[in-house]
Amino acid sequence: MTNFELHLERQEVMSDEQKQAPAAPAPAPAAREGGDAPAPTPAPARREGHHAGPRRESGPGVGRREGGPGGPGGPGGPGGPRRGKRQYFRKKKVCKFCVEKMDFIDYKRADILSQFVQERGKILPRRMTGVCARHQRWLGVAIKRARNIALLPFAGSAAGVQAPRAIEAPKA
Amino acid sequence: MEERLYDLIFIARPATPEEELKKVIHTIEHTVAEKGGKIEKTEHWGTRKLAYKVAKHREGIYFYYQVRTNHGELVHELERRLGVQDAVIKYQTVRLDEELKRQKKLSHKREQRAARRPRRITQPAPATEQQASAS
Repeated sequence: MTNFELHLERQEVMSDEQKQAPAAPAPAPAAREGGDAPAPTPAPARREGHHAGPRRESGPGVGRREGGPGGPGGPGGPGGPRRGKRQYFRKKKVCKFCVEKMDFIDYKRADILSQFVQERGKILPRRMTGVCARHQRWLGVAIKRARNIALLPFAGSAAGVQAPRAIEAPKA
Repeated sequence: MEERLYDLIFIARPATPEEELKKVIHTIEHTVAEKGGKIEKTEHWGTRKLAYKVAKHREGIYFYYQVRTNHGELVHELERRLGVQDAVIKYQTVRLDEELKRQKKLSHKREQRAARRPRRITQPAPATEQQASAS
């Protein structure tokens, strides 16, 4: 789940950079380079200096075409059907709490809260979970309350807590 | 002072004998009654895993109370008593009434909006159906 969301975030970054460089309608990797250098001229030396990917060295023309689909967007994933103009299909994220029409986030429901927390206990940002601003605010409060009463970890998961235990055992 | 609603959770050591738990529960109920509060809800969640170590325990017995009172001192007194108890390793009181008030207000608003909405939806809906059938 987390990986997939990271992936989503990456796509967002990508599309922003594409906006910066509208002159390059080419697939993502090229657009990214364009974002780095203001003038997207196809100068091979410059490109390789910027972002030395191994597959780029075959030449800018070929690299552009073939590097596209696989691009920094990574394993393709939901990119699929539309190859030509925009390969990145961004799933529209909806606030889960709005959908369920929750006007109150209960700090006692650790099962719900844990969906918005990383394994190590960090609160996930809105851009990953798609929670609306208002609910994120409530969610933060609820998570912090749950942490106080040991329903959620402050830092480190159950696995993280178990690791020091193994060290303690021989001591005792 | 207006009435306020509080959530009170406390965690007891996992190996606490029954009698001692009863004693703790009794103290709470007694204190609440003494100060003119009212216990609205009681839940015993039983033994749960703690998300982190508390007083060298990884498990704890959870107790949950909802208390309504006019006196803020009651909360103070409850926390003091819980802090004194050896069996209790952690406790938390949260004031809830303001959030519940907000929730009520929002759900009320939502209902009003929902009551207004149907007219708007019914108008465009047949139009889209016609388009769909035409194409």
